[in-house]
Amino acid sequence: MEFDLRPARDHGLEGADRLKSLSRERGLGSLILGRAWRTMLRGYMRGFHRLEVTGREHLPPPPFVIVANHSSHLDALTLSAVLRGEAARRAHSLAAGDTFFTSTLGSAFAAYAVNALPIWRKRTRPSEIATLRERLLQDRLVYILFPEGTRCRDGVMAGFQPGIGALVAGTEVPIVPCYLDGAFAAWPPTRKYPRPGKLRLTIGAPVHAQDLPSTRAGWEETAQRCETAVRALSGQ
Amino acid sequence: MIRQAAFDHPVTVAIVGATAGVLAFAGLVIGVMTLLGRGTPDLRRELWLRTGSWCLLLPLMMGPVLLGREWVIGAVTLLGIACLREFDRATGLFREPLVTAIVVIGILAANFAALDHWYGFFVALWPLTVGVITIGTIPLDRPAGYVQRTALGILAYMLFGAGLAHLSFMTNEPGYRPILLMLLTTVALSDVAAFTFGKLIGGPKLCPATSPNKSISGALGALTVTTILVATLASFIFRGTPMAQPHWLILFGLMVGIGAQAGDLMLSSIKRDIGIKDMGTILPGHGGVLDRFNSLLLVAPAAFHFIQFFVGFGLAQPARLITGP
Repeated sequence: MEFDLRPARDHGLEGADRLKSLSRERGLGSLILGRAWRTMLRGYMRGFHRLEVTGREHLPPPPFVIVANHSSHLDALTLSAVLRGEAARRAHSLAAGDTFFTSTLGSAFAAYAVNALPIWRKRTRPSEIATLRERLLQDRLVYILFPEGTRCRDGVMAGFQPGIGALVAGTEVPIVPCYLDGAFAAWPPTRKYPRPGKLRLTIGAPVHAQDLPSTRAGWEETAQRCETAVRALSGQ
Repeated sequence: MIRQAAFDHPVTVAIVGATAGVLAFAGLVIGVMTLLGRGTPDLRRELWLRTGSWCLLLPLMMGPVLLGREWVIGAVTLLGIACLREFDRATGLFREPLVTAIVVIGILAANFAALDHWYGFFVALWPLTVGVITIGTIPLDRPAGYVQRTALGILAYMLFGAGLAHLSFMTNEPGYRPILLMLLTTVALSDVAAFTFGKLIGGPKLCPATSPNKSISGALGALTVTTILVATLASFIFRGTPMAQPHWLILFGLMVGIGAQAGDLMLSSIKRDIGIKDMGTILPGHGGVLDRFNSLLLVAPAAFHFIQFFVGFGLAQPARLITGP
């Protein structure tokens, strides 16, 4: 039998702590809210940005990790909007805690609608990485991740940091490289609100890191493979 | 539908007045204990937390009863969904969103049947909802875990949907207020009495593996207090009806007293089986909503059908208020 009496990983946490917890698991309410949010998001992407997606066939069944270039807040929104079915329900954007999880209201929106998990830049503990890695495999999740670490300020993709390797090196979890074009022009970090503009998302064939050790060298090699794959999609 | 004013019945006035008085007295006693340094700091803290939570909970419980039947039905619906949420997250049923969704629909439907005053639908929903839960996940073609998710879904619906909705259906009787207030307060008092008698007398444990803090003295003390109080209040509420005979009133009191403690032990069994202490964190000093309202889960249907046997609910009132011709 598959089912066992296992409480939610976040059972026993107070409301505010739960929103910021990497152990947060979705219930029916969050699934319904997330579905409504994705429906609105798809309408917005279609109407406001005429989103064009190529390579959707490369998306494997969960678990997998999506990595992409990062130049705008539109990036995570776009990537979460294109996922469908089981992958969409299991998708978590790994978002900057110091940007999206600073207030209770912001945390509630990030948690319930976007289903984001907070990453606290420059102070991520090894235990947090271990939790993310364990959940990726055991809960068959989908992570949306931007290995540059922050939005680029000039529209030019920066090098990838090795954190992605810590999540997947030595596992069979595929990494799906994506390149989003047009997001920087539509909503650069310097603007408060987005403007209309065409977005083109290219989804590449999955990259694997199961042959790499989960060591610093393995993580860096994983990041290098991902960066190469994303750059190839960008035509750079 | 005939409507009575909130304080038409003297038992309503007595219960609301006594509850306010007891809370004020409890605050006074704990305040004196704190000033005199009596009891351990942990005990005083627990007493403050529990009393503080009651100050918030009792108005939330009694307010809808005094406001009117629609308020009661709304509150019972929310209570059922809140209990389901804690239950599904504790047992893992939330990982089966389809089953959870069916149970939510069942809870809404049971309370709608009460709002509509449609007893036939209210009763039919038990087998119908169980049937839908039973077949609901078959199209997913995932037999692994079928028995457990179906069993948990049925248990959840029976407790938080069909069971609790009996409180909603009681409001179809114009004189529902004293009945509901009697059940809500005596069931809550049963918990407090068990705690108090257990602390004062101590002695052998009731079910140490299930609930290490409950003693036989606490259980018997609570049963005695609850039985006497329920029988006394019921003698005023049901005066002039076939139920107003001492043996039936005492039996009714015993049933409420046993049902309250059985609900508590039932939830303790669930928690021990899963290996958790509390079902949630929303109520300081109590834990989750279920930790507070577990005693009501079994009392609601039992009390309803006992009273229904002798007196009935809303028999002289129009039925199918919404769906009728």
